Amino acid sequence: MKLYPTSVRSRLTLWYVGVLAVLLLAYGAGSFFYLLLSMRHQMDHNLLEDKETVEGQIVTKPGGLTVQSHHGEEGEPSVRRFIEIWTPDGKLLYRTAQLQGQALGAPPVLGEKLKRNEFASVVLSNGLRVRVVTSFHHMENGLIVIRVGHNEESMGRELNEFGTVLAIGFPLGVFLAGIGGYALAHKALAPISAMARETKKISAEDLAARLSIRNPQDELGQLGAVFNNMLSRLQQAFERLRRFTADASHELRTPLTAMRSVGEVALQDGKTAAEYRDVIGSMLEEVDHLTRLVESLLVLSRADAGHVRLNREEVSLVSVAQEAVSVLEVLAEEKRQTVAVTGEPSLAVFADRLILRQAIVNLLDNAIKYSPPDSRILVRAGEGEADEVFLEIIDRGPGIPIEQQPYVFDRFYRVDEARTREWGGTGLGLSITRWAVEAHDGDVTLKSQEGSGSVFRVSLPLARKPAQP
Amino acid sequence: MPEKAQLRILVVEDETKVARALREGLEREKYEVVVAQTGEEGFFLVNAEEFDLVILDLMLPGRDGLQVLSTLRKRGLETPVLILTARDAVEDRVRGLDSGADDYLVKPFAFPELLARVRARLRRNRSEQDPRLRLADLEMDVLARNAKRSGRSLELTVREFELLEYLLRHKEHIVSREMLARDVWKESARVTPLDNVMDVHINRLRRKVDEPFGRKLIHTVRGVGFVLREES
Repeated sequence: MKLYPTSVRSRLTLWYVGVLAVLLLAYGAGSFFYLLLSMRHQMDHNLLEDKETVEGQIVTKPGGLTVQSHHGEEGEPSVRRFIEIWTPDGKLLYRTAQLQGQALGAPPVLGEKLKRNEFASVVLSNGLRVRVVTSFHHMENGLIVIRVGHNEESMGRELNEFGTVLAIGFPLGVFLAGIGGYALAHKALAPISAMARETKKISAEDLAARLSIRNPQDELGQLGAVFNNMLSRLQQAFERLRRFTADASHELRTPLTAMRSVGEVALQDGKTAAEYRDVIGSMLEEVDHLTRLVESLLVLSRADAGHVRLNREEVSLVSVAQEAVSVLEVLAEEKRQTVAVTGEPSLAVFADRLILRQAIVNLLDNAIKYSPPDSRILVRAGEGEADEVFLEIIDRGPGIPIEQQPYVFDRFYRVDEARTREWGGTGLGLSITRWAVEAHDGDVTLKSQEGSGSVFRVSLPLARKPAQP
Repeated sequence: MPEKAQLRILVVEDETKVARALREGLEREKYEVVVAQTGEEGFFLVNAEEFDLVILDLMLPGRDGLQVLSTLRKRGLETPVLILTARDAVEDRVRGLDSGADDYLVKPFAFPELLARVRARLRRNRSEQDPRLRLADLEMDVLARNAKRSGRSLELTVREFELLEYLLRHKEHIVSREMLARDVWKESARVTPLDNVMDVHINRLRRKVDEPFGRKLIHTVRGVGFVLREES
């Protein structure tokens, strides 16, 4: 059985009600006791005054004492007054008739220390609650003990009424607070419910929808903005995934289609051995392409899973760049391009030499591929801000349109469909570069303007300050 | 080149097509080939008969290739073993070599590469590292770093020299692009840019080694690789 309510609304209400009940109880009890104390105080004060009045009305008569009151023995009409007069050794001198023989407490005992104005609450034998003040008084023939009592009934009645009001008001207040709280919680939570309903309508197929935000400044508006932001990123991720799936199936199917049709057509009629050789060679080329594609994809998926171990050592960024250049130099020579490497050779990074070189080779290959003949490609290493070193590969190619720039590092993304495929690339080169650089805690970015070339910038953490000359 | 006493190779491979291709390819190279389809069978054969080399697939039905291998090594069998694996994670390779394999190849492997590895394994003890290499009228002296054809000296760059030397060491055998990437360019992976680089170098080598002399020695085998040989 669940005792704790599951909905926030009920919980909020429960909290309201609980807190209010505690406050009301404390307040009620506080005022009740305050009232009780002040009434008692007032009563004691009256009692004392009355006692003094009584003292002045004591008249000695033969064989005892009596009290002569203007209002008769009963005192003021609103209050019933009881009087007893004792000798200090416990002999009753006078008792109001109203007491009908009941005592206002035990008789005084001789030798007990007499106190002036001692208050006590006494219950008479008929059940009446009486507030009594006991004092002593000097008469011409000795000390007497005077007791004056006032009926507490009126005070009890008032307190009772007050208590009743509290007792009725408390549950009523709590109940009303509960209803109000529930309504308030509903009002406060309504935008959240609305958001939940809106969110439910947004599915993976339709990530373009956004939550409506009434007030972007308040907490709910901020929550909505966070949601919308997440939706945008999700939408982008889905978009990329969708494109990747489409591109990957295209890339994988193309060589398969080529193999299949080449093979099937070759089997249709008799050919010479040389012709068959050619067909098989053509099919093997496609196999080769597929093999490389699969291997590149495996490299990336292993990287995604974090299964690649780097053999990191301190290497000079410039020397790695030079190695990459020396491998690819012949390609540039064929186009009469020049490749220049500049930078301080002592700039070191902590890297896996082979993987870093691979990253640079891919960037450099692109630069050579897209730069026109007779142009110049610059590979520039330098020190950036905050212990960072960079390597820029600057080409004079056609550049990359700004709207395509965010995607160039995506798997299989091709800036120019037709043109890139001629080169037999896998479309994964830049993805592998990005992975390799990021695996070294670095970052690769592209700055390019259509018509005036591209700059690919690899930034990596600096391993060592260059030696000062 | 035909061997005097035929060398015997045991191929333990469950994939029928691959096993058949291996048998045919190796028999063409004049090896005697026995194929076992399961780990159990391979284990039995290797204990019963003498082989010069075992080619062992790691993913086998019944008995795992690694298990077969480590059992054999524990029994003191010293036949060289070349493992084939489709799992190329570094840990797997290390595990293979730890279990006593002499070499490994990742599927899909290039057949010329397999042949090169087999030759290397079987040659192991003969240690023929002759610095003077020759094919027809092409001569190279690796120590003196010179190359001649028909007595005429060839002007080669360092990379061209290494490439020609590698082709010459594997003369009459096809050399795959993977082998060139690894052994000549020392790259860990064969990537597209490198293919273009190889093509450029091969073309330049042709211009220097073949064109002035009329008779072609450097041949491209489409879809497979390159080979240095005399056309019959």
